[in-house]
Amino acid sequence: MTDTTRTDPPAEPPTARAVPGDVGPDGPARQDVPALEARGLVKTFGPIRAVDGVDLSLEPGRIYGLLGPNGSGKTTLIRLLVGLARPTSGEATVLGRRVPSRELLARIGYMPQADGIYPELSVWENIRFFAGLYGSFDRERLLETLRVVELDGRAGTPVLQLSGGMRRRLSLACALVHRPPIVVLDEPTVGIDPALRVQFWAHFRSLSAGGATLLVSSHVMDEADRCDELLFIRAGRVIARGSGAEVRRRAGTDNLEEAFLRFAGDGTETAA
Amino acid sequence: MSVRRVTALVRRIVAQFRRDRRTLALIFVVPIVLSALLGWVLRDQQATPVRLGIVNDAGAAGARIAQVVIATRGGPAADAALVDVPAGTITDAAARSELEDDRLDVVLVIPADAVSGLATGQGVHLVVMTQGANAPTEGGEVGQVQQLLVSAIASAVPGSPGAPRIEHATVYGTANADPFDALSPFFVGFFVYFLVFILTGISFLRERVGGTLERLLATPVTKGEIVLGYTLGFGIFATLQVIVLMAFTLMRVDVPAIGPFGAFTIGLAVPSAGSPLLAFLVALLLAIGAVSLGIFISTFARTEFQILQFIPIVIVPQGLLSGIFWRIETLPGPLQPVARALPLTYAADGLREIMIQGRGLSASGVQLDLAVLVVIAALFVVLAAATIRREVA
Repeated sequence: MTDTTRTDPPAEPPTARAVPGDVGPDGPARQDVPALEARGLVKTFGPIRAVDGVDLSLEPGRIYGLLGPNGSGKTTLIRLLVGLARPTSGEATVLGRRVPSRELLARIGYMPQADGIYPELSVWENIRFFAGLYGSFDRERLLETLRVVELDGRAGTPVLQLSGGMRRRLSLACALVHRPPIVVLDEPTVGIDPALRVQFWAHFRSLSAGGATLLVSSHVMDEADRCDELLFIRAGRVIARGSGAEVRRRAGTDNLEEAFLRFAGDGTETAA
Repeated sequence: MSVRRVTALVRRIVAQFRRDRRTLALIFVVPIVLSALLGWVLRDQQATPVRLGIVNDAGAAGARIAQVVIATRGGPAADAALVDVPAGTITDAAARSELEDDRLDVVLVIPADAVSGLATGQGVHLVVMTQGANAPTEGGEVGQVQQLLVSAIASAVPGSPGAPRIEHATVYGTANADPFDALSPFFVGFFVYFLVFILTGISFLRERVGGTLERLLATPVTKGEIVLGYTLGFGIFATLQVIVLMAFTLMRVDVPAIGPFGAFTIGLAVPSAGSPLLAFLVALLLAIGAVSLGIFISTFARTEFQILQFIPIVIVPQGLLSGIFWRIETLPGPLQPVARALPLTYAADGLREIMIQGRGLSASGVQLDLAVLVVIAALFVVLAAATIRREVA
């Protein structure tokens, strides 16, 4: 395995931070078309460069972890990739097609950081509503999706009466209701208990086994080892990429947080 | 445009309402309570310059009275007078059509028996006629004319004629109608507009801040489908509300005394001269505009409280300028075009024409009101869709 491809933008001035942890994608792509791709993606809000030149190419069927502290640009990058925000410059493609595209939205499952479900409605009404927006109302399929997140016994319960963890599960179910090949989850495990987190990751793994590509953001480093590949993001830039083992080896430490700080090249900042 | 996606949106909104009992109460109970209160509380409005026409059926004696009235308050050139007599003496038929078409506010009819009661000390008999479509305004106008008549009679009739006996007649309805009879069309329109605006504004704000709009926009739904789904979903409740409000306004139910409670009446029993169905259509068009206005305004608010702050900006001025309290022609110059750009103005006008004046779809005034309401609703739909920030249509 050789480090030939660099993932930082080539147009950066030489004074820009070095990217020591850049290990590149492992080997040639398994398919011709990447599941998600970004080229020179930049998003500015006034003087703030929330996403500052991101190039990446994600292969189908794998789980990618997008790791970085709060405010590092994870959510903005995700919104650019899904097509919910327009980049200041650069472009993103999903399954070889340029975003934003309404046709692509039907093939992306997106779970926002906020739950994004209707509290007055029941579990069933919520999931049926989003299924209706995807134009795919199949009672059996909806029930099965609820079974996966273990909410099938609570279909008639109003969301207001659900615990926080149950709401996260419903939110996940709403993102998966149309069986999307691309699944983008913005901090799906924030605020849920360890047992449920284990369940979530088991489910992510089964989605990936079924051929789906997952991009999962988190600021919790101990979730990193459940991903096939990690993307460390800081100040809107991807500062390192590789499997958990590779990243540790390159950073020369067993601790991923320490590895992150090493790649960040700035020991005074903490990675959440 | 996918019917299935729009249906999903509509169903969701209906389900949300069914769960929210208090909001349902807001839709149906609040307008009833408020309109009943206002109906009881309302008093006459201030006077505005009155355009007076005179019909003389009393020969020479009547002509003398007419002359003095015109002389006292000027002719067509007198613009400072409280009472203006632009048309002078006219025929009975002309007087009616001038009143109907809003070219005159009040017509003084000097009947054939005007001075015949003088001999028996009964005073001069006069009739003032108004349209009968806007009782509060007309009450003030009749008051102005009465003052003028008392002083005019004193100088026109030799001797001491005493106070004239003045009857009040109207073209539409009855002169002694409750002020609420004439105001009811306005309140139907106002409450529909107000409540639909508040409900949509807050619901859509919750979509924006609760993350559901973000999620909605990550599905293949189009902006047009969202606005249409909201319009239809809220349209269902606006329709029910208009039905309740209309029924309450037009009908009355006497509830007999039960136990310790005395007998009371529900409903105002305002007679509608025209088609309730047409009036309903006007109110519904107004409501559709209000749905989109609510979506549009929700862009500029971050909390429910900030939606409420738009009431004095968006709702109250519309009520004041809609022509129900002051005729649009009597508003200060710069305010007139503003009033003519507001949907409530046309809804109030249309409802008044239909419910009080009994006009139908063939009347040009009703046609204009409907057409303008459609255009304004369409404009708001475009504005609402424009505020849904999205990278794909």
